[in-house]
Amino acid sequence: MNPILSFIVILIGVFGLATSKNIIKSIFCVSIIEVGTILLFLNFGMYEGGSIPILNSIGIEIVDPLPQAIMITTIIIGSTITSLGLMLSVKIFHHYGSIEWKTVLKRDI
Amino acid sequence: MYLAPVLFIFIPILASLVVYLFKNKFATYMLFVSQLALFIIFFLYLRALQTSPELSLIVFGGWDERFAISFFNDRLSLILIGLTIFIMTMVLLYTFKTNQKEINFLFFLMFLQGIFLGLLQTNDLFNLFVFVELMTVIVTILIAYKKTNHSFTAAIYYLLLNAVGAIFFLIGIILIYYVYGSINIQYLIQNMNLHSDENLIKLAFVLMMSGISIKAAFFPLFTWLPRAHSVAQTSISALLSGLIVKGALYMFIRIYLEMFSKANYNMSEFFFYLGAITAILGVVFALSQNNLKQILAYHTVSQIGIILMGLASASELSYIGGLMHIFNHAFFKSLLFLGVGLVIYGYQTKKVYAIRGVFKSMPWTSILLIIGMLSITGAPLFNGFISKTLIKYDFKDDFFKMALFTVVNIGTVTSFIKFSQILYGPKVAVLKQNNLTQLISMSLLGIGCIFIGIFYISIGQLVFNTDLSYVKIFDVRQWIEYFTYIFIGMIIYVYVVKKDFKPFKILRELSVTFENANYMFILYMVFISLLMFFR
Repeated sequence: MNPILSFIVILIGVFGLATSKNIIKSIFCVSIIEVGTILLFLNFGMYEGGSIPILNSIGIEIVDPLPQAIMITTIIIGSTITSLGLMLSVKIFHHYGSIEWKTVLKRDI
Repeated sequence: MYLAPVLFIFIPILASLVVYLFKNKFATYMLFVSQLALFIIFFLYLRALQTSPELSLIVFGGWDERFAISFFNDRLSLILIGLTIFIMTMVLLYTFKTNQKEINFLFFLMFLQGIFLGLLQTNDLFNLFVFVELMTVIVTILIAYKKTNHSFTAAIYYLLLNAVGAIFFLIGIILIYYVYGSINIQYLIQNMNLHSDENLIKLAFVLMMSGISIKAAFFPLFTWLPRAHSVAQTSISALLSGLIVKGALYMFIRIYLEMFSKANYNMSEFFFYLGAITAILGVVFALSQNNLKQILAYHTVSQIGIILMGLASASELSYIGGLMHIFNHAFFKSLLFLGVGLVIYGYQTKKVYAIRGVFKSMPWTSILLIIGMLSITGAPLFNGFISKTLIKYDFKDDFFKMALFTVVNIGTVTSFIKFSQILYGPKVAVLKQNNLTQLISMSLLGIGCIFIGIFYISIGQLVFNTDLSYVKIFDVRQWIEYFTYIFIGMIIYVYVVKKDFKPFKILRELSVTFENANYMFILYMVFISLLMFFR
């Protein structure tokens, strides 16, 4: 797989962040960027024909285990952010009756 | 003492779990036991470090140092650990009586301390990212804790913007791992010059710096900060500007000043002017606000700009000045926020022009507020003066840079003349909380401000290991300079700010939408990349 592909996924997410006018869409754009990041890192860690990095694979060519260990943590963090954001957007919907950024972001001066 | 860095993280977390599980009034006193234990372990650890310096690094699991999770403490992180424990104790003292029944609040507050101490000690870029994200999540919950509509909005704005920043930081880490094969910070500090000319590393630098800039609220990206500060509880506002933003500045020092120091990217000039713009814009926005907390929040932005000016300067004394301003800003800005919290509670309003007569009605609070104001404006004998003078050291002969710095100073003075209008006036009946611990915590912060301002030479020796005798507090020129600032500030206040012209109204009602904040982030990234690649 080409790292360019994951950069394209990341750019789709960034484009969505800059254009979406809805809170839930913004939350999912953040998780799209996260997916792109995970793809990018797994991409750097693997090579063709490498085996899975578990204990009884001594003597065989294995892929780099560190990116995989790190990416599991990243997936957990990403799901935390998504779920917290969705929870907050439910609360916002109860208070404002809308989840458009435009109606929500009125400041108390 | 070998495991002291681990205890720093786990004592607060265990205390928070005890409080959360027992849900009992007596269990909440556990928090103070844990703070005391942290202080004791901190001092024992400092003493042990003097005799055996190898204690500063611990590697977990017995793996190769380049791949294992490890903690590393040097002077920088130790200074910030001490600061964190102190400020957290003060905030806990302040908020304890009002929030003793809010078990969840205390739980998250204590958990945040553990996370933050972890962020300061970690020697691993990925763990840095994990701690930053955890910090973002917990701070989001704490901002939203008041459960009003504005606090939910501010919380989600904070969460999403900071999550985007952190993910870009992570992409930078990935690129660094791809090129160097390690994410150990000490290893990278030693070997950064091997591949620093490669385009991937330059890209990693751009991405990491953009992520940190969101966290640290540099110029175009500070839109989350005033929102979050003005809706959160008083103690959380104090914590946000006293510590959380400092975490990002710590990352700036570690990653830009230490890791990429051998890379010769020559970005210091850019960061200096970025700091200057941040400082000036923060002051201008602060002048336009009428909400007490918003004024203080925009001053946090401007002080961050000043710190950045110091950190990005070349000479050693200016760097120490920036570091010391991180320290001092935590003291006086927490003091101001906590004092303003009492004033807002007493008068039940946040408007500057609706509050009068604080000095007669709340004398002790207003004395502490005056100490905070004198410190932030840089009056001699107070701590703000010391660090501001040190920051000026590098560019004291450069006319243009001095002019920028003077503009910031005059703006700060003007803004606090506006702020101090709440003190004048006849006595008013106010709501009082009769809470001794609040006054104790604020008094300790105020005493800290004066103490650092007077005994700065011995503190400089002890804490920063630098001779600070360059600063002279009884130099007549400095006093004349300060009184001139006050005079000019008075004139600007009476003839410009008080009239409340149209531009101020526009600035006050300016509200940056989330899409525009992201546009600004993208433009910021593009700008840094242009500077990096085509220069």
